[in-house]
Amino acid sequence: MNNQASTDPITQAVTTEEPRRTFELEDRGFREVPKKWRKFYRHWEGEDDWLGPNEIICPVCKVVIRSKRELRVGDRLYCMPCMSRMVVVEAQDGSLATEVIY
Amino acid sequence: MSPEHDSDRADLGHPDPEFDPHALNQEDFLNEVHSFEFWFQAVEGYLRDRPYGHAEGEQSSPVGVADLGQSEKDSLITTLCNYCVGETAALEGASGMIAIAPNRHSKIFLATQVADEARHLEVFLHRLRDLGIANPEAEIERRANPTLLVFKRRLLELVRSGDWSAALLAQNVILESMEHSAFMVHAATADPVTAEILDGVMKDERRHLGFGENDLGRLLADHPGNRARLAGIRGELDGLVLAVFSRAADDLATDRSMRADMGREYLETMDRLGLV
Repeated sequence: MNNQASTDPITQAVTTEEPRRTFELEDRGFREVPKKWRKFYRHWEGEDDWLGPNEIICPVCKVVIRSKRELRVGDRLYCMPCMSRMVVVEAQDGSLATEVIY
Repeated sequence: MSPEHDSDRADLGHPDPEFDPHALNQEDFLNEVHSFEFWFQAVEGYLRDRPYGHAEGEQSSPVGVADLGQSEKDSLITTLCNYCVGETAALEGASGMIAIAPNRHSKIFLATQVADEARHLEVFLHRLRDLGIANPEAEIERRANPTLLVFKRRLLELVRSGDWSAALLAQNVILESMEHSAFMVHAATADPVTAEILDGVMKDERRHLGFGENDLGRLLADHPGNRARLAGIRGELDGLVLAVFSRAADDLATDRSMRADMGREYLETMDRLGLV
């Protein structure tokens, strides 16, 4: 993933002082949605895998959801493979997590 | 495969490279993911060149069967027979729900689910034949888990009663969670062909259980008074769910940690929906 300037239209989250990093997404072999959307998702690859600052796991289907932009609390995301809508929240340990919005 | 399959012509067209699915408004998002076109392009991505759920080269020689011991093979046959019971329940349940679905999006989505469930049933029946079962229907009748049959009967009663929210809970939340969990645990230890078949089925199940949780979640948000009644139905079905999980775990000879994994997804879903 390379940093690049972008105008990612993801819903604006709470403003913070640091500018967000942006990312160029590449296809990671995810085939469960139509082509144009595949780069926004990938499978979790197990213990040796790790999440980038623009990635988070869907609490419903456990697919990794990806954004062109560093994720922050308040961002809204869609998991197209399982049709879920969610918001990024801060977990008790300070990491980012998601809550499903119905 | 004709050349048109390789083109982008039918890919739900968003020529703008800046397009981002996370920016869709909710209505557009729901229109998209509930559409037949979305389903078609999604399944084409992972089922193309996989007749009966696995790569063509493996079709004529059922890879893995010769390597199975007799006891292992017998357990796999029992497990597949019960998958067929579950998929038949899902096929009959989803098709019956089309008539009682409250809107066109749900009806269209359920039509795609019916096609998925029919395919699942077909690939499991085919796998049983790979394993030397000449009459899968008779074998299913002989090996079916009685508790799963009770669950199927109750599910179809709820569908026939026209109770959309209860049917959605039983079919797309409970049954789909049970199936997805069992397939996930099984795929981790299955022979390569069975694992590939299960992998394709689980990709379908993601849509089904996601539809169930999200549609029911919206319904409960709009009509919170339904929560207590649905929690009661969940309580009624819980005993059956636990018994089915337990029997499936025995058939798959799963260890303790994997047994816990089987129930975790179901419990997390119920927690998110507030059906506790």
